[in-house]
Amino acid sequence: MNKGNILQGPMGLMLMVVSAIVALAAFGYAFLDLQSAGHRSFNTTSQIPWGQPIATYLYFALASSGLGMIAALSLVFGFKQFLPIAKRAIYLSVVILLAGMAVLAMELGHVFRMLWVIPLNMQIHSAMFWMGVFYVADLIFLLWKFQKMEGQEWDSKTSKQIGIASFLAVLLASGNLALVFGMMSMRPFWFDGLMPIYFYLTAVASGLAAVVFFTYLAYGFNRNAMPERTRVMFEGPMGKLFAAVLGATVLFILVRAYTGFYTNTPEVNVVWREFLFASPVYQASLWLGIVAPFVVMLIAGLRSNPSLQVLVSMAVFAGLFAERYFFVVGGQVVPLFRGTWEWGLIQYTPSLTEWTLTIMGSAMLFALYAAGERFLNLSDMPAEPATPEGAVAAA
Amino acid sequence: MTKWGMVIDLDKCTGCQACTTACAMENNTLPGENWQDVLYYSEGTYPTAKLTWLPRPCMQCENPSCVAVCPTKATYKDMDAGGIVFVDWNKCIGCKYCMIACPYGVRFYADEKPVVEPDIRDVFPGEGQLHAPPYQGPESDSVRGIGIQPKGVVSKCTFCYHKVSKAPEGVADLDEDNPDTKEYTPACVRTCPPKARYFGDLDNPESEVNRLIADQRGVRLKDHTGNRPQVYYLGSGADVPAYQSPKKT
Ligand code: SF4
Ligand code: SF4
Repeated sequence: MNKGNILQGPMGLMLMVVSAIVALAAFGYAFLDLQSAGHRSFNTTSQIPWGQPIATYLYFALASSGLGMIAALSLVFGFKQFLPIAKRAIYLSVVILLAGMAVLAMELGHVFRMLWVIPLNMQIHSAMFWMGVFYVADLIFLLWKFQKMEGQEWDSKTSKQIGIASFLAVLLASGNLALVFGMMSMRPFWFDGLMPIYFYLTAVASGLAAVVFFTYLAYGFNRNAMPERTRVMFEGPMGKLFAAVLGATVLFILVRAYTGFYTNTPEVNVVWREFLFASPVYQASLWLGIVAPFVVMLIAGLRSNPSLQVLVSMAVFAGLFAERYFFVVGGQVVPLFRGTWEWGLIQYTPSLTEWTLTIMGSAMLFALYAAGERFLNLSDMPAEPATPEGAVAAA
Repeated sequence: MTKWGMVIDLDKCTGCQACTTACAMENNTLPGENWQDVLYYSEGTYPTAKLTWLPRPCMQCENPSCVAVCPTKATYKDMDAGGIVFVDWNKCIGCKYCMIACPYGVRFYADEKPVVEPDIRDVFPGEGQLHAPPYQGPESDSVRGIGIQPKGVVSKCTFCYHKVSKAPEGVADLDEDNPDTKEYTPACVRTCPPKARYFGDLDNPESEVNRLIADQRGVRLKDHTGNRPQVYYLGSGADVPAYQSPKKT
């Protein structure tokens, strides 16, 4: 146990209990609404069938994948500097995925039916079928990997193999999730063979935001309370990795926007011009949530500043959440046929119940995370390997 | 094998919405949930403006993207039923991916905010089904998405399969003017006052629909998506103008 971790004390208990209460209350509210009014409590329509709950699911699922990839840095690719966050990243990856699945479950018309119809019908043509398969595989490997870590099995052959399998599952799951959108030729705003690359990048960006924020949270936002190796990681490589990933994200958004503004295709051009860039919320989330954090992380003097790291992680949380929202809704705002009684863009603003689901997922994440810090040693890492010099000296 | 197809002659269509109304009554759809709709377009400005309209049922595509994406096989194309695409309400999980994937916007998730007030579901509340209007079509078949839909599933036009399926075997056309086939003709076709709609077997070289498509160069909408509709349009106006933001006009 490490003393600096405030979540192992009363603070953690409080966070866990309060978040659990919020999650349950939000669930209760949404559940009752869905029971009594059905999806009338959502503001989605047959023209915009996928709204904020899907965006929330997408955000959580990708943040989970991002965390899996971050864990792979040390566990699969041997970047030992990132070992101090590996276990926490894996745990977060699990709970954030569970939170996302919970939100998705509330969005579906028939969630329990899914459990038998999908396996019984094996519709292998459907990207959504594979989404289910890959995310379940992902979850199993993550849990398995975590169990190995709990058993202090960091370096065994099986543990390594599970790490590799887990990494592959993460790639398949999030890449395939990208294709759920990217293969829709009738939705040109999404139709893009490179969508998986965009999802990988932004997944890692949101995963980084999560692991940075939650690690700081565990230590009461006091970097000096962190174990030595964790602190060193946050002082050095973490900021650089964050800068690189945000830079690539900015570049990707820029290229997509540039093409969007240039093309004549209304489903792409109008979406960028009149839906994304016309929205102050989108503008704010882009400039303050992605570009500004990138600039901060780019400047060597700033990127290791603890307060700025926390701020950047929070900004990126918000920025990428908005990205997901505008991405999901943006693919649908231009009517498939202009004449569908819709002359302008199709209007959609999430309802209270839809917001409640977002809150439910987030609170669930906080509660499970606090429980993890309390009952499982998420700061655990293998003992520092003996240096070659040390080995020579001992010989 | 029979392959049911529809031909809509836009030069004859007056945009009267009789088809839309007949469909709603035949299939007990909710107000605003139009399995068949007529869309209106205007291009240009006065005095040289042009008003066009487009009746639009489900195209019962040959390569239906809604079928490919459905994770549960709830949406399926039944070749034995003339290639009609159905939704099995017992299998649909309401993920709405099919609605995303249909290029024609003809699928409905009726368990949502009412399109038209008052909400008929409150006026005629239903048990197990979305609503219980005083008249209900007698031929419900939830495996084919016929009848009043339950909560949480997607619905769409079935080419009035409950009528069409009873047509005499091997018939080339279902024509409201022919007493032998009148009863089996889809409601929208049967009711169309100027007879702008034709319904028949695309696999039968003798059928009127095939003759019309060949002679009058029938076109299909959004053919670039590869969905290959079994609904063809004739006449001027099948050129649906691209979306343009109202801000620009
Ligand atoms: S029009 Fe749409 S719903 Fe109908 S078969 Fe084609 S893709 Fe499916
Ligand atoms: S909403 Fe129903 S029919 Fe449509 S893709 Fe999902 S399960 Fe299939």
